[in-house]
Amino acid sequence: MRIRRIVLILLAATGLGLAGNALSGQGVALTRNAYVREGDEEITAKEARDRLDKGALFLDARPVAFYEMSHIPGALPLPEDDFDRGFAKIEPRLRSSFDIVVYCSGFGCEASHLVARKLKERGIPAVVLSEGWPAWTEAGYPTKEGAQP
Amino acid sequence: MRWLRHPIVYWVVSIGLGAVFIYASLDKIAHPLDFARIVYRYQLAGPSATLGVVPANVLAVVLPWVEIVTGILLVTGLWRREAALVAGGMLVMFLVAVGYVLWQGIDVAHCGCFTVGGEGRSAGWTLIAGDLGLLAAALYVANVRPRTAASVSAAEPVAAV
Repeated sequence: MRIRRIVLILLAATGLGLAGNALSGQGVALTRNAYVREGDEEITAKEARDRLDKGALFLDARPVAFYEMSHIPGALPLPEDDFDRGFAKIEPRLRSSFDIVVYCSGFGCEASHLVARKLKERGIPAVVLSEGWPAWTEAGYPTKEGAQP
Repeated sequence: MRWLRHPIVYWVVSIGLGAVFIYASLDKIAHPLDFARIVYRYQLAGPSATLGVVPANVLAVVLPWVEIVTGILLVTGLWRREAALVAGGMLVMFLVAVGYVLWQGIDVAHCGCFTVGGEGRSAGWTLIAGDLGLLAAALYVANVRPRTAASVSAAEPVAAV
């Protein structure tokens, strides 16, 4: 009896939640990453690899300690938590790059989206590597350790 | 520990626990997208290509409704013990989530416990202590059988005038 009631409670709440989400007009798209907003552009690890081979500039939006542990070869550190200082250091390079890819720690990390938006506000278009660093490493693509790009 | 079976104590704990769950659900129901972003930060329910949906989004949509339904049942007394078990299950889930981020060193500055915007409590040891307290309350409501009003009045003799 108890189990049946518990199941009913969970089913009723699930139904209400999904119905409310569908009907409220401000619900969450269940198939899309909630960090992605209107105007954001994401690319897959495979496409990012192709762009790296063609000379795209990669930006690492994670804290610098993570960058130094390991990063995508050629990527520059531009941590979201210290954006203004990092941006000032590499601004000329950013303004002369036509293809910029930003990444961070993957699912659960919003830094790459925030950095891409801040760049866009400054007139610099950038795309985000979908699922970030884990997607890159799980695909077996090259990485580099240390503070140098 | 006879007082634990006193109906008024049982009633106060049930309604208090229900009120906490109802309050915890309101901001999340009003701002599901903000709550989904908080759920992501726990990094427990990652993306899934096979499911066709983002599990964290489904969790963010459903969890507040489980909280509010559970809270209403606890307050009204309908299926109270079952609702308390559901509340206990949710609290165990919250404890696992907070324990996981502490263990992994993931910085979750806003736990998403009661609100989803502005400054929130961080996922830390004080949160675990609070959740353990609520879990004790849920287990109490689920398992303790309060004395009936008749047995209470029989056990408490009327003072001499």
